[in-house]
Amino acid sequence: MEKINQDNSRRTFLKSSFLAGGGLLISFALPEMLSAGTGIPDQPEPWNELTGYIKITPDNLIKILNPNPEFGQNVMTSLPMMVAEELDADWKKVIVEMAPHDSVKLGAQFTGGSNSVRMYWKPLREAGAAARTMLIQAAAENWGVPVEEVTTKSGMLIHQKSGRSTTYGSVATKAAALPVPKGAKLKAVKDFSVVGTSQKNVERFKIISGKALFGLDYKHEGMLIAMIEHPPAFGMKLKSFDATETLKMPGIKDVFRQTLFEEGFEQAGFDTRSFNELLVVVGNTTWEVINARRKLKVTWEAAGETKNTVGGRNGASTVSIPGALESTTTQLEQMKQMAAKPAQQLRKDGDPETAFKNAAQIIERTYNAPFLAHNCMEPMNFFAHVTDDKALFVGPLQAPGWTEPTLAKLFNLKSDQIEIQMTRMGGGFGRRAYGHYLAEAGLISKKVQAPVKLVYTREDDMTYGIYRPMYTATYRAALDKDKKLIAFHVKGGGIPEHAIHANRFPAGAVDNYLAEGWQIASNITIGAFRAPRSNFNAAAEQSFLDELAEAMGKDPIDFRIELLKRAKENPVGKNNEYNADRYIGVLELAREKSGWNKPENKKYSRGIAAYFCHNSYAAHVVDIVMRDGKPYVERVTSTIDCGVVVNPDAARNMVEGAVVDGIGNAFYGKLSHKDGAGEQKNFNQYRIIRHSEAPKKIDVHFVKNELDPTGLGEPPFPPVFGAVANALYRFTGNRHYDQPFLNPIGQGQGSSDNKKAF
Amino acid sequence: MQLTRASSVFKIRNTRVFVVMTIIVSAVGLLTTAFEGKDNFNHPDISSADSAASAAAFMKVYDVLMSPRCMNCHPAGDIPLQGDDSHLHTMSPKRGKDGKGIYSMKCSNCHQPTNVPGIGTPPGNPKWALPPADMKMVFEGRTARQLALQIMDYKRNGHKDKAKLIEHARDTLVKAGWNMGEGRKPPPLSYDEFVAVWDEWINKGGVAPK
Amino acid sequence: MITININSKNYDLDIDPETPLLWALRDTIGLVGTKYGCGVAQCGACVVHLNGEAVRSCVTKISRAAGQKVVTIEGLAVNDNHPLQKAWMELDVAQCGYCQSGQIMAAAVLLKENKNPTDQDIDDAMEGNICRCGTYLRIKDAIHLAARMQRDGVK
Repeated sequence: MEKINQDNSRRTFLKSSFLAGGGLLISFALPEMLSAGTGIPDQPEPWNELTGYIKITPDNLIKILNPNPEFGQNVMTSLPMMVAEELDADWKKVIVEMAPHDSVKLGAQFTGGSNSVRMYWKPLREAGAAARTMLIQAAAENWGVPVEEVTTKSGMLIHQKSGRSTTYGSVATKAAALPVPKGAKLKAVKDFSVVGTSQKNVERFKIISGKALFGLDYKHEGMLIAMIEHPPAFGMKLKSFDATETLKMPGIKDVFRQTLFEEGFEQAGFDTRSFNELLVVVGNTTWEVINARRKLKVTWEAAGETKNTVGGRNGASTVSIPGALESTTTQLEQMKQMAAKPAQQLRKDGDPETAFKNAAQIIERTYNAPFLAHNCMEPMNFFAHVTDDKALFVGPLQAPGWTEPTLAKLFNLKSDQIEIQMTRMGGGFGRRAYGHYLAEAGLISKKVQAPVKLVYTREDDMTYGIYRPMYTATYRAALDKDKKLIAFHVKGGGIPEHAIHANRFPAGAVDNYLAEGWQIASNITIGAFRAPRSNFNAAAEQSFLDELAEAMGKDPIDFRIELLKRAKENPVGKNNEYNADRYIGVLELAREKSGWNKPENKKYSRGIAAYFCHNSYAAHVVDIVMRDGKPYVERVTSTIDCGVVVNPDAARNMVEGAVVDGIGNAFYGKLSHKDGAGEQKNFNQYRIIRHSEAPKKIDVHFVKNELDPTGLGEPPFPPVFGAVANALYRFTGNRHYDQPFLNPIGQGQGSSDNKKAF
Repeated sequence: MQLTRASSVFKIRNTRVFVVMTIIVSAVGLLTTAFEGKDNFNHPDISSADSAASAAAFMKVYDVLMSPRCMNCHPAGDIPLQGDDSHLHTMSPKRGKDGKGIYSMKCSNCHQPTNVPGIGTPPGNPKWALPPADMKMVFEGRTARQLALQIMDYKRNGHKDKAKLIEHARDTLVKAGWNMGEGRKPPPLSYDEFVAVWDEWINKGGVAPK
Repeated sequence: MITININSKNYDLDIDPETPLLWALRDTIGLVGTKYGCGVAQCGACVVHLNGEAVRSCVTKISRAAGQKVVTIEGLAVNDNHPLQKAWMELDVAQCGYCQSGQIMAAAVLLKENKNPTDQDIDDAMEGNICRCGTYLRIKDAIHLAARMQRDGVK
């Protein structure tokens, strides 16, 4: 992978050093080179053996390897910052490089679950601190002074007493031969000089100058382009095809049928795939393949019920996939029927049945949300070159550690025969944790005996599946005659799974509590989508709490805090997942920063919501105004508690993005089906929020504390839905229970005076 | 409004009365427009049979003009419409002074000289544009009568006299309405049928129906 | 054979005249800064300048560009120092970054035709460029900043 430098003026220098270096001038590698050099085998213990993050040349080039794939969350910058902090390197001169997949040396390398910073918080700082200790020791030995007298600053070693100083690079080779110290002391948060300061994206220059960065940009000698014609609907499969006309088209090499997983292939958790019989077209260039695909004559047939063999802790099991061609209208009807039936109990506190029986008032509301497509701007693609004894994969992937074992099994290769390089991803949102497209690319490469890049068109991508599930939930609250909340009941369902987090707020805050779930199997595949389940719960539950507050005559923030105080002081039940104080913290900060009750904000229709997920707490106040006869979110105040913020400006950027993404999906996001076929195939049908619809202002505030960092990519996303729903209620006077809240297609904006209503 | 009420009260029996009144209104309109010296095709002395035929022809013309293929680029606002359901054009391109869009959102940035093959791709024509800002020629929301009067009005029809109106049906951009690419419903008449009723409407007096 | 001037360099391409400019740039010429996002002129990731206009290269047949001047993100400015590129870096606009070359190319036409755009002008010009990460606010700020740089003659 290419090198990256933050200082653009040094590009020329880097280039020449890169060319001259060949092997990247590695003289010091910590600590894997060390363990190799001293004959110590790699240990299986994952965190202690996380190695190979730092490389230093004799002329003091310091390179830090970023272990986790980058999909816009800025780990390419924030993770190396953590290493540089403890290494005491000059951040402005550090070279950052994307590491290849190496789960032994570099850990899980999983981008997703808002994991990167929290997973690597300790190991990366420890790696930096250990390296610094070794450099100090090497310098102390060279100078014949006690190690305690050697200090470091910006990649320099200093002995104050004698006035001597030298670079890290000058002692790097010697340091590399030293044993890795255990338990090197880490800095206190107050002493950080890199972490906690805003540092710019290390790849920003490449991005704005159009350099090859992404999977689709990757090129390889002799590379062919492959595409897959998948069935037009879920529940269909390939019957037969006539490729005569396609093969006559210029640049076309081959058209063939390819089975993805043979019968009985044991699928791991992220081996989700929608279609198993692939119709593959291979040619020289992307356009030639796109064009030739139009000439295919294909017959599809009903797939009927199919079976998946799914691996698990207790061995493999068989899962049946129904064969029906599903439609959104019938799915909604099915969900209504299921919701009326008994469901699986997920949690029960007290005696909710009796409490509801004795209630003076019962409030019951049902919320619905559709399938959503991730719609990463860069459609799915991957390069593969697979032979009998080795495989190279290059492209956008969130979870190489989960994909590699599947590839090993599929191609009968050992882990060390498979190389996976992760390019920058044009978005991920969970979609690229599912590596079916690597398996597909690999099989195609093996079949045509050539390096191949598999490319999905936008339509292929949007209609493939792996969607956010379709959800519903009915919330019930029992109030006594004093309008006090005495019981809370949530019953959630979904296709093909429900969203309920039974141990989350308001569990723990209500004496009588019941959570239940049910699900309906489907052949429409699903996958993690930015804060799975939470992204629905925070819409439904936070909207419902708002209705309760109104019914009780309470301020929505006061009401939430009241419940949280109860959960803190006298918690109901066990396993409450959240920290009530931190929850209250973001709500209070939101109240303050948004000027919640200030008269100057009366002109806005305001809504608040708060949610906890991925160990972080987020609240938003959404301000809606009327613009051109339509609701417009003009301003959002966001408050987040995610512990120490590693890179504040980048973190703000991510929260801003989550807010825009949340508004867009709440207002317009929808993927519907008719007879198994997606009704949205491209952006002319699937509405994505655009420039004019983004708020004028998103005011982001982080709770200041010294707690270990928690998630940030996902946590700000879910409560946007709830806050938008609550603001929209104040705007229209009507509750919106069904997402999307506005019409998904073709709703205009701007200063149009078009009369037509939509 | 009064005319409409009268005609609805008197129904068919009094159609002639109504038509005559319409023509008077139109003629008055003509006197105040810049048609003088050009081709005064809408003479008050045209036969009632021609008037009825003209009005009837316009109703067919109207069906075509109000179909998405024509109306979508004659919107009430400054954003074109799109699709068979005439929703506001995604990405809200603005008309601009000359009707050709603005800045990085000019019509021809996406609408090519010819159609781009494929579902959902932009249809093409070298002249692709909305009417200009000073002559919007709105179809959206117009009744048949309003639209007929508008088309006949030199001040509101892009300064077209009879000959130019006749010619307009032969315009390549108008013709493109029948060649809009995959997945788009064509207008309710064929192009030749449209030209025939258009000509008939104009040649028989350009009568605005009730 | 089709001759095109791309980023001030002439290319003679032996290529199907129906090929979209996007794929000629990416696959044939190897300029990959112009991105594929939708193929139907909906997302703006593929915006390049054709004779100074922000065409969507995914629907622009290469025959339309024959003998014409094409500018891609790679050729927007010498040393990649267009005020927009500098502003984008200054405000650290990008998240995933995939759409940003299209955003910059669209914004460049706006700034060429309007030296002092308002928020409304920016919305009008940029509505055709989708950013799935939601960096719209920073893009707007960066366009304002670039306009200031351009007016003040900052090099």
